[in-house]
Amino acid sequence: MTEDEFAQLTRRFGKDVTAWPAPYRQQALLLSAGRQDSPSDRDEALDRLVLEAALDDTDEQRLASQVLARIDADRGRTFGTRLSSFLLRPATMTACSALLFLALAAGGYQLAASEGNALDAKLLALATGSPANTGLLDLSPDDGTENAL
Amino acid sequence: MAIVTLGFAAFAADIKSRIVVEKPRQREDDDLLGRIAAGSQGALAQLIARHGRGLRIFAARYLGNASDAEDVVQDVFVTVWKNAGRFDPRRARVSTWLYKITANRCIDQRRRRFLRNFIGLDDLDCDPASEAPDAEARVSDRQELSIVRGGIAALPQRQRMALLLKVVADLDVPAIAEVMGTSTGSVEQLLVRARRGLRNHVAAHEGRERNV
Repeated sequence: MTEDEFAQLTRRFGKDVTAWPAPYRQQALLLSAGRQDSPSDRDEALDRLVLEAALDDTDEQRLASQVLARIDADRGRTFGTRLSSFLLRPATMTACSALLFLALAAGGYQLAASEGNALDAKLLALATGSPANTGLLDLSPDDGTENAL
Repeated sequence: MAIVTLGFAAFAADIKSRIVVEKPRQREDDDLLGRIAAGSQGALAQLIARHGRGLRIFAARYLGNASDAEDVVQDVFVTVWKNAGRFDPRRARVSTWLYKITANRCIDQRRRRFLRNFIGLDDLDCDPASEAPDAEARVSDRQELSIVRGGIAALPQRQRMALLLKVVADLDVPAIAEVMGTSTGSVEQLLVRARRGLRNHVAAHEGRERNV
């Protein structure tokens, strides 16, 4: 850790180095102790060496943006997953199939009823003697149908 | 009697100083976690700024693979985002909780990697976090660090985890025991063995270089 980095971290985490998160805390304490200050025991010396060897460049801002992007993606996926799992439930599928069947049946009846009504009207018109309005017989004078009758 | 009293006073002062040091750090983390539980993404970014570096270094050195470590740490913070409301500050410190999640994710990742290698999906065990010693710069300082890195990578998994939790995460023995789900005595043994193994590794390399 350089003096500049130490100053940056002081602005970021405050003046109390002991309250900094690891491993910044150990690095700062090492810097303040100075390299000439030899550690009190062998384990401490080795731990310092391990810390130095383990340290690596990291980019917390990039990490934060990647994590937030994953959270946003998860949110969208969660909605999709919930919807698909709701739709794929047996009860939901049965209910949807029943609704579709009812809709088709009702549509069929409706269609059949409208066609039946038209035919009834035509037959009624024929029975009451006004076939001209029924469309069953075309009585236009030009085609000779009247003569044929 | 006077020596015992003095010893106890020193011990009490040490404990007191530790408590005074621990409190502001814990309070800040606890506050952040409370805000994350309430849905603040800014608080999550702050928690990442505080602990992201430590977690990533720990995961990279434990797994020996930088890209796996990246995935693991992202996964840890996504888990934190989802489960922040479940964290109980009376039961554990935030840092201990974060390292516990990371350690578990690392173990899962290692198993997955092993399985992929076994099946043959990964041809090579790419290992950029543990370079070969001679691939490093020739400066003696850096070379020594490179040898230590190789030594860390060569340690048995549990020893490596205990040592990294001690050195990188700066956790005390009870916290390491909590993270690893073991006793404090076992952690102390792991640390002793890890340091011994590392010393032997460094000494063996120094001896080899002298012979060359």
